[in-house]
Amino acid sequence: MSGTWYYVFTLVFFFFDYFILAMGLNIQYGETGILNFAYIGFVAIGAYMTGVLSLPSSAGTGQYYILGLSLPFPVNLLLGGLSASAFAVLVALIALRRLRTDYLAMVLISLSLVLYDISNNYVPLFNGADGLYNVPEPFAGALHLNTNSFIPVFAGVTGAIALLLWFVMSRVTRSPAGRTFRAIRDDDVVAAALGKDVFRQQLKSMIIGSFYAGIGGGLLIQFSGSFNPTAWLPGETFVVFAVILVGGVGNNIGLIVGSLLVETLLVHLPAFLPAIPGAPGLIEYFDAVVVGALLMAMLWFRPQGIVPERVRKAARMGARERPADGPGGLVGEDVAALAPAGARAGGRAR
Amino acid sequence: MTSVGPTGTTGTAPREAALRCEGITKAFQGVHAVNGAGFAVPRGLVTALIGPNGAGKTTLVNILSGSMTCDRGQELIGSTDVTNWPSHRIARMGLMRTFQLSRELGGLTVLENLLVAARDQAGEALWNIFLRPGLVRRQERDNIERALDLLETYGLYRLRDSRASDLSGGQKKLLEISRAVMASPSILLLDEPMAGVNPALIERIGGYILDLKRNGVTVLMIEHNLNVVEKICDHVIVLAEGRTLAEGRLSDLRQNEQVVRAYLGEVIDAGTVR
Repeated sequence: MSGTWYYVFTLVFFFFDYFILAMGLNIQYGETGILNFAYIGFVAIGAYMTGVLSLPSSAGTGQYYILGLSLPFPVNLLLGGLSASAFAVLVALIALRRLRTDYLAMVLISLSLVLYDISNNYVPLFNGADGLYNVPEPFAGALHLNTNSFIPVFAGVTGAIALLLWFVMSRVTRSPAGRTFRAIRDDDVVAAALGKDVFRQQLKSMIIGSFYAGIGGGLLIQFSGSFNPTAWLPGETFVVFAVILVGGVGNNIGLIVGSLLVETLLVHLPAFLPAIPGAPGLIEYFDAVVVGALLMAMLWFRPQGIVPERVRKAARMGARERPADGPGGLVGEDVAALAPAGARAGGRAR
Repeated sequence: MTSVGPTGTTGTAPREAALRCEGITKAFQGVHAVNGAGFAVPRGLVTALIGPNGAGKTTLVNILSGSMTCDRGQELIGSTDVTNWPSHRIARMGLMRTFQLSRELGGLTVLENLLVAARDQAGEALWNIFLRPGLVRRQERDNIERALDLLETYGLYRLRDSRASDLSGGQKKLLEISRAVMASPSILLLDEPMAGVNPALIERIGGYILDLKRNGVTVLMIEHNLNVVEKICDHVIVLAEGRTLAEGRLSDLRQNEQVVRAYLGEVIDAGTVR
């Protein structure tokens, strides 16, 4: 495989992987309104757990880590995703039940810093600052893949997983559950007054979004074969936020656009460009500036993103067309006919 | 269209209470917003909660609907003690509310605002979405039809696909009431449903409230417009300084010196409070 195709398939992998990450953050922030500034921490949990489940026992490897179960792909990946979800339950029980919006965001960003410091300094967990390396490549043995041929195959596998997760996410967001998430995003007091258990719904959203984060992280470590704290600096959360804010919050098409524009073209493509003579590494450092400037410009000029959230029209939901109503509508017997059985029977709640 | 008219022979004779509260107290940093309020809301009637500004009416509605907890006191829906239950549990008991300043779900369409309120939706459980898609689809179709029926009734059908944030103030009031009705309430708390609404719409909203009463819904409404109270409310509770001052028919309360001094004395021509 030529160098060009190596770059192209690497970009394809990052596009699909960040699409998965963006879907996870979108259901938490875009659909449910949870400002999860610790999102990258859930990605890291997925990556580390997938790694230590893939690696053999640490004895004699020169690394220090827990587990080491040599589990095959995709079992390790699935458990990595579930680990991130399990951690989300813990975080939600502590933080989500009592805190809202800005206070929750502050607690979560602090959590991200704590997770980072633990993984960076507590070596027996995930090998400290060196991180995990020599993580086995999935299918490499069975399909006799070398490093070059592994990249397009795994980019394709990641694409297939992204499509499957997109299908699942679309079903969730278009369902009554998705509508309830958006109601909580718009006004959690009203949602509660309409009988919605806000904490329970937010917990669901955290679990789903964190599972996607864990899967995205697991794919990262399987693709690169290594993962260490430099890969998930707490500021990386804001790159995923940039993906969904630039593409368009609350819709999956916007996430595709955001993943392509921000993550693929602005963050990863420049890493493959020739270095500027006399200033090696300048391009890579510059991408954070470009992403930050783009994020500010979007929030200022087009806060709804490139592809705004679509209005879900009645006809698209399968409603039959009716003649338009007059200024007053119907009353009297018509209302009686519409009244709930409980109300007609004397006002008992169902 | 039903016009707002006298309530006829419906009186305040003792009835079973749909909602009862006793000794409700709520203080904010030592200042008592509600200070021992207690009353019973008769089942199937329209009851007005009136009182001067700062009497604690909205705080009381917030407490009764679970949006706020009380420091002391007891709340009963029927015979169930629901004191300091969270609002989603109180809502599931059949008590719905609207807000003083309309709180629409702005990012959702008018139709979606109503659909959110539908009760016992199978599609809110994730496993049903994947394991029982037929049930979810059928229930959703029924809910859509019922929501569209209500939007027709409340004159909002042509706005079904508009974002709720784009509605006018009056339309938002109608949306809030229709959304609460979509949840099949047995008790409806309306916080100033006529505030900032033009006279024609006041007439319509009054008609809708009377229709709800005819269908067995118990209504408790905060209202400053005494013309409306006189025409559609069977029972009136006067709140002052966080306490229940008096209860009864408005015509009787007009003879009550305490009520006149605390509240009605400020009324100009039996109309809106100054």
